[in-house]
This record gives sequence, C-alpha cells and structure tokens, in this order.
Amino acid sequence: MESKRKFTRREFLKISAFTAAGALAACTPPAPTASPEAPTAAPAVPASATPPPAAAGPAYQEPPMLADLVEQGKLPPVLERLPENPWVAPVFESNGKSGGIVRRAFTGPGDKWGMSKICDRALVWFDNDLVMQPRMCESWEVNDDGTEWTFHLRKGTKWSDGVEHTSKDVLWWYEHEATNETLFPGLTEGRWFTGTGETKKMMEVTAPDDYTFTFKYAEPKPLLIYTMGRQGVAAPAHYMKQWIPDTADDPDKLAAAVTAAGFESWDKYYIDNRRFWFWNPDLPHFGGWIAKNDLNEEKWVIERNPYFFGVDSDGMQLPYLDGMHSRLFSDGQVFNLWLTNGEIDFQARRVQVGDYTLLKENEASGDYKVVVCPAARHMVVVLNQASKNEQLRSFFMNRDVRIALSLALNRKGINELNYLGLGTPRQYSPLTMSPQYHEKLSNAYIEYNPRKANEMLDAAGYAAKDADGFRKYSDAEDAETIFFVMEGQFGAGTPDEDAGQQIVKMFKAVGVKCEYKFVETTLYNQHYTSNDMDAAFWFADRTVVPLGAEGLIFRGIASDRPFVDAYNKFFDDPENPIAIEPPQDHYIRKIRDLWEQVLVTGNPDKQNELFAQMLDIWAEELPMIGVVGELPALTVVKNGLKNFGPSPNDDTTGDEYVLNPETLFWENPAEHMG
Amino acid sequence: MLGYVLRRIAIMIPTLIVISIITFIIIQLPPGDFLSSYAASLRAQGEVIDEAEIRVMRERYGLNQPIYVQYGKWIKGIVTRGDWGQSMSLQRPVKDLIWQRMTLSMVLSVVSLLVGWFIAIPLGVYSATHQYSPLDYIVTFISFMGIGTPSFLLGLVVMFVAMNYMGLNVGGLFSDQFILAPWSWAKVVDLLKHLWIPVSILAFNGTAGGLRTTRANLLDELNKPYVETAYAKGLTERRVIWKYPVRVALNPFFSTVGWELANLISGATLLSIVLNLQTEGPMLLNALTAQDMYLAGSFLFLLSVMTVVGTLLSDILLAWVDPRIRMT
Repeated sequence: MESKRKFTRREFLKISAFTAAGALAACTPPAPTASPEAPTAAPAVPASATPPPAAAGPAYQEPPMLADLVEQGKLPPVLERLPENPWVAPVFESNGKSGGIVRRAFTGPGDKWGMSKICDRALVWFDNDLVMQPRMCESWEVNDDGTEWTFHLRKGTKWSDGVEHTSKDVLWWYEHEATNETLFPGLTEGRWFTGTGETKKMMEVTAPDDYTFTFKYAEPKPLLIYTMGRQGVAAPAHYMKQWIPDTADDPDKLAAAVTAAGFESWDKYYIDNRRFWFWNPDLPHFGGWIAKNDLNEEKWVIERNPYFFGVDSDGMQLPYLDGMHSRLFSDGQVFNLWLTNGEIDFQARRVQVGDYTLLKENEASGDYKVVVCPAARHMVVVLNQASKNEQLRSFFMNRDVRIALSLALNRKGINELNYLGLGTPRQYSPLTMSPQYHEKLSNAYIEYNPRKANEMLDAAGYAAKDADGFRKYSDAEDAETIFFVMEGQFGAGTPDEDAGQQIVKMFKAVGVKCEYKFVETTLYNQHYTSNDMDAAFWFADRTVVPLGAEGLIFRGIASDRPFVDAYNKFFDDPENPIAIEPPQDHYIRKIRDLWEQVLVTGNPDKQNELFAQMLDIWAEELPMIGVVGELPALTVVKNGLKNFGPSPNDDTTGDEYVLNPETLFWENPAEHMG
Repeated sequence: MLGYVLRRIAIMIPTLIVISIITFIIIQLPPGDFLSSYAASLRAQGEVIDEAEIRVMRERYGLNQPIYVQYGKWIKGIVTRGDWGQSMSLQRPVKDLIWQRMTLSMVLSVVSLLVGWFIAIPLGVYSATHQYSPLDYIVTFISFMGIGTPSFLLGLVVMFVAMNYMGLNVGGLFSDQFILAPWSWAKVVDLLKHLWIPVSILAFNGTAGGLRTTRANLLDELNKPYVETAYAKGLTERRVIWKYPVRVALNPFFSTVGWELANLISGATLLSIVLNLQTEGPMLLNALTAQDMYLAGSFLFLLSVMTVVGTLLSDILLAWVDPRIRMT
C-alpha cells in the first residue's frame, strides 16, 4: 500500500496561500476593456486597489452557453446579471475553462444533501484556511458582545430568476416566514432566538437601506456566523408571497394549488416543499446551479444559474461547469461498478472507505483518481458515565478506568486491520488542520500498554476476578462480574463491526467483560433516549471546525453518543425522568461553564481560547475513548477535472465542497458535454 | 356464473377493509415513526436535526395522533377523493409516485412472465414426453439450477460479466443519456439493450418452476385412459398431446395467474435493487424502511387489492379453460 499523504494545517495553508494571494489580488474587479467579448478582457495584473471608475464598468466574461442566450436576446448581458462588486472565488489550482458537466450518483430524494451542499449559498463561507469570509455578502460587522450582527449585501445581486436581491427580501422573510407562528410554532430554529423557556426571545431584524440589514439579539449570539454558510436569511419575496394566504394576490388560487399538490394546508406546503429549491425547482435561489427537473426522477439534473454572483480573478462568471447530473442507484454494488467504470466524475458522498482497494485497482481503467481527504469521522467507544446501572456508572465515572481502557486498545492494529491503515490512531479531537486543533488531546493515552492498563484497573479497586478471569465490581465474595454491552449500528460484515469485535477482545484481555451488539437504528435511538444504553461503539464527527459546530459532541449534547446524556438532561430539566444529577466536581459542570463563557464572547480568539480549555479537560478526563480518527473520505475525481485537492470533509464545512465547487472545471470541456 | 362473480365481488369489500386495517397496523408496529427514522438517517449522514424541530414536524404530520385517527384520515381520502395521501419522504402525492414507475414495472414483469412461459411450456412438455432421455436430464438439471440460484446473486454475476467482458453499461434500464430523453426509437433500442439482463434472469428463475410443474402434471395425465383412447382412435402423437393432456396440465398456470397480478408491482424487488431498476419494488422497500406510512400503506393495500382481484380472475379463467370446473 502506498504511503498515506497527510495534510497538516500548515501544509493546507501553504497550498491555499497561493490561491489566497490570487484571490486577494483579484479583490478589485478587472479593469475595463472596450468590448466584453474581447478575448483579452482580463488584465494580467490588477492595476490598483481602488475600483475603476464606475462609469466605464468592469469587463466580465461569460460561458459560451450563456453568451449564445444573450445574443438571442433571451438573457441580459453579463454585466447586468452580476452584482456591481461580485464575489471573486478563490481557486485551488488555477482559473479554468467554462463548459462541460459532472456526473454524480445519489440514492434518491432522501440523499438530496449532496446537491444541496453544492447549491445552497448564503452570506459567508470558509476560506481555504477554514476561516469565515464573505461570500454572498460584501462584508459584515459584529459588536463586542455578539448581540448585533450587521451584513452588507453586494449591490445588484440577483436571484436565479433575474430579480434583484435586496434587504427587503430579508425583511419579508423575517416578517412572513421566520416569525410566522403558523409556520414555526414556538420558535424552533435555534439560530433566530436566544435564551430558553421564559427568556426565549426572537431576534429583531432591521434594514437601514436596501443593501444593509442588522440582526439584533436580546443576548449574545457569538457563533451566529458559522450558521450563515449554507442556510439563507432571505426569501424571494416576489415569488414566495404567492404561497402565504396573507400575502398572496389570489388566496383561492393558492388553496387550489395546495390541494392539487396533495397537501392538507398551505403551511405544510410552504414549509415542507415550497421553500426548498430541491423540492420546488421554480424557487429562485443563489446557487451556482438550478434544478432542471424533479428529484424523484431517475436522473436529477442541475444547470448553471445565469445570475450567479461570483466570478474568477479573470472576470469569468462562475460556475465553470454547465451542470451536474445525479443518477439514482439503490445498491452500493451498482454504484461501485459505475465508479470503477469511470461513469462518475466527482464524488465523495456514499463512497465507502472499505472499497479503497477496489477503487485504487481500477484507477487506470476508469480514468479517475482517488483523492484521500481527511474527514471528520472518528470511531469512538462511548462509556455511559450517567448510566442507570449504578455499579456500572461508578465504574465508568472512575477516570483511571477510562484511561486504562484507552491504554488497552491496540489502535495501530485496528487501523491496519480494519481501516486499511487509512485512519490515524488518535482521540476524538479536532483535525490536525482545524483552527481548534489540540495536540495534547489528540495524543492523550493512545499508546498501547495493556500492562499499565491492568495495573491501573487493579489500583482503581477492580482487582478481584471471577472464575473466568474477569474483573468484578469489588472484592466482596458475592460481587458481580463487570459486564456491559457496546451497542452499535454497524452490521455484520462491515469493517466497523469487525473493529467493534476487536475492541471487545482487547477489553477482555485486560479482564473487562463486554460484548459488541449490532442494534437496528430505531432500537439504538430508543435505548439512548431512555438511557438504557451501557456503552456504544459509534462514530463522532464535527471536528473540522468544532467551534462552528457548537461543540455539540464535545459538550455531550449529541445524545446518540450518550456519555453524559442523563447529566445534561438534568441541567435542561431536572424533572426529566431520565435526568440524573452529576456529582459536584464532575467534569461536565466545568465544560458547561466554559461553554457559557464562549456564548457571551464576540471575540473569535477568546472563543478559541475557551474552547481549548474545554479540550484540556477532555485530555485529562477522556469523556469518550477515541480509537482511530481522521478517517478519510475517499473522493473519486475523474482525470481532467481540476481545482479539487485534499480538503477536509465534514457536514459542517460542506463535505467535499469546502473548496467552492463553482470553481471546478474540465481541462477539455468539449469531452464532457454529457 | 354471473351470480357467482357478483357474490365474489361482494365478499371482496369486507376483505379489503380488513386488509387495509391490518396493513395500517403492521406499518405502525415497528418502534418509532417516519420522523424518528428520518432523524436517524440524517444523523447517520452527519447532519444535525433539532429535537424541537422534530416535535413540530410530528405535530404537523399528525404523527402524534392515535392510530385510528390516522387510519380514518387515510381511508377517508382514498374513498372520498381518490387521494392516497402524501409521501413524507418523497414529498409527492402517493398516487403520482406509484404511477410514475408503473410502466417500467409492468413491462419488466409481463415480458419476463411471457418469456418464462414461452420456454417453460414446450420444454416441460418435451421433458414429460421424453422422460429420462438425455435431454430431459439436461433440462431437469438446468431447471434445478434455476430454482436454486437466487436472482440477486445471478444479477450480480451477470452484471459483472456484462461490464467486464462485454463492455456493456449496466445498472438501470437505460444508458445515462437516455434516462431523461423523451421516448424515441433509439430509446426503445436502448431499453432492449438493458432489458435482456433482468428478463433473462427472471425468466431463468421463473422458467424453472413452470417447467417442473408442467412436466409433473403432464406425466400424471399421460397415463390416463383418455390419452390411450385418443391414441387408439388413431390421432397423431402431436395432436393427442397438445389437445388433451397439455391443456389439463396447464391448469396450474391459470390458477396462479392471479398472483402474478401483484407481482406486476412488487415482483423481483431484490433483483431490481441489485440491478438498479427503477421499478415499484425498490420504492416499496424504501417506503417500508423509512416508515413512510402512507406510501407504504398504499402500496401494501394496492398489492392486496391486486391479489384479491387476481384470485377472482384466475378462478374465472380456470372455469373457462377447464370445462370440468363448475362454479356454484
């Protein structure tokens, strides 16, 4: 097996430095030339930092597909379609050529998220250094305590139907959608309010002019920016108003449309269907591509949005690709056949790590490359330290026990045997390239030392063993043997299930009796919801920018990893039947305190610092036992497709699309016209 | 005869009501509901979903109502408006979704059924009339293989061979560029290029059963006195066999034709999944695993209706084919 290429944050930075420089240089629109059609439209070096005189107007180019439409009079010229100051996209390799399509695959409407991540565009996005930068907005400001967020829109940004987008769309969205009690009873979307229970309060939105709007919260909302990447804060008022009875010109027509679509009431139609572009291809949005057909069909097609708000540093309107197709598959084997046969151009979603060898073997014949991207996924052993079972609870609550169990794991062996050596033995912690990377936690107690593990368990008071050599809860004659079940949703035959069995063996080798048990999803959910889970072998992600992901897993809020779930439930509602009060000195109290502080700090450096303190506690306490991490996401990229490189892969950073898919291009577009 | 048919139809109504109730209960039996499996699938993919959001959604879908209220709403829609409800996972009216895949499902099922019969009957007759001949052994051997090999396994093997050694594009019923294209001659040709894989696999499996049945039944008939009489009267061998015992031996085909009606929809689900055929089967399976209750319920209900109607049809057919059967 070839040696694994690992990207540290530093290296990732180095790669992106080049691109960032390009992007910076391009911050001013290219200087004007006489004709927009002129092939030399873009200057090699942007002249100065001051924008060119507005009267002359910058020169932009457009893809051939659109130039034809402009010529036929079906589309306004590119200058009128772009904002005055368009977004200049950073590129991973170089500026590219327009045209061609990319073929992908999906498992049906439930798997719409791939395309959704490609097309959902909102105010900001991560740069290649994983720091938030303006994307759709021109800039933003936040006050010191994080209660007031002001965004400036790019003047002249258009919805995909050509209508200009202004802060009026934000106001309309706020008044008619976000605060509509019929649509959102009892404020459910966490981004728009602060406080809980009595103190729960909706933000206020104001718009001093057409291109500025402000969100004002009753309490600090310092992490808001991280939720502004994909989810919009505006609705196309001119289009959406027809779907609300109060604003519709013709409410009867609306009622008829609701019935015809098979919905019981307008609010269901609005909330489940009309406001999503993937269910409603007519909905204007901002993405690089717009849906051309219904996603319930066998092939889902998206095609370039002629009004997309971004350009490359040469002034070429993005995206480069004319469109993308997603073909429906129901079985992974068919998907693998397509992949190995070179019928998929760009995809990480649904590609299985276990198929690495198969995919590598066929690289030449399928004319593609497998790019190994570091992904957020870690495999973790979750010990329920708030278990209903008191004996087990005090066993797991013992810090030495958790450390001993961590030392009992031969991570290198598991990585080689079950994960083809593609993972990294580490604790659950932010990725190496993450702005929140924490070296101490990553490497805490990851060495394989069963002798020490045995010593620590003996010293912790679990030295007595039963007839089979397994440790008992105490040295009393009638003490029970320690035993727990690790539940997992990995079925027989998967590498993960196999890893679970390996871990069981390793725990048993230090005298701790346990079993791995495959449980079906619904049952798994039931078990953790009712706190009937001893332990779990599961995955944990959100490690690329965990701060942006609100540290959900680090705080134990993601209940499907229930290491302290019943404790957290106690803080939320002591009356909750599964709530258990944690001891006064329990680490979860300190973690919660620190998080409270993060939540009132508008300063990103201070946020990172406080988050690092949380991770210090993790490194001491090992709330979860990480096995292997940075498990890669394999991205299959057809040869000739450019501007993609190894980039971190996580839901919160848009999976394989963190590097703006609008900049993907074909070296020979003519060969990929579909 | 007419009275018999009317009576049978009258009995069908309570049968269907009972079936619809049982269907609905069965769908609700597994723990959780559509939203819990929806949330779980999101989490498994690394997406987030808020508990509060789920609560609101549950209310909106009426999933927190008692089961009889949900059932009442569903049945009322079907009876009064022909509205089968809305699929929660696919966001489309159930009716449209089922129709969308109907044509391809039917083409696949009918073609494989006919191809299967076309092979099974002549071979079965040959096997029976030439019992223990070398060809009979060969046919018997192959037919046992057909019964013994699961279609999905065969599907995988054929797909692998077709792709690796014949350079064909596999998975699905159309090549990539024809999927969304309007119907044309080229598209039909493309369909035929893909259809042979599932049809031959299904026919291989289906033929085996039919062949064994024909052979066994015909063997029973061949020794009966009426056959001897027919020979004694000087009829040709071909005429004797095809006119009398074969017709009797074919009765099982007609009595099972009713089940094929339901198979038109849900037949070959496994094979469809493996070969990526976008027929009704995989959609039914997805609906069941996602606990998309209106879609799954309507499917199961439709299948039951088809089976009930099919049984009636096959009874009528049988009476028509075999004058010895009397309806009273």
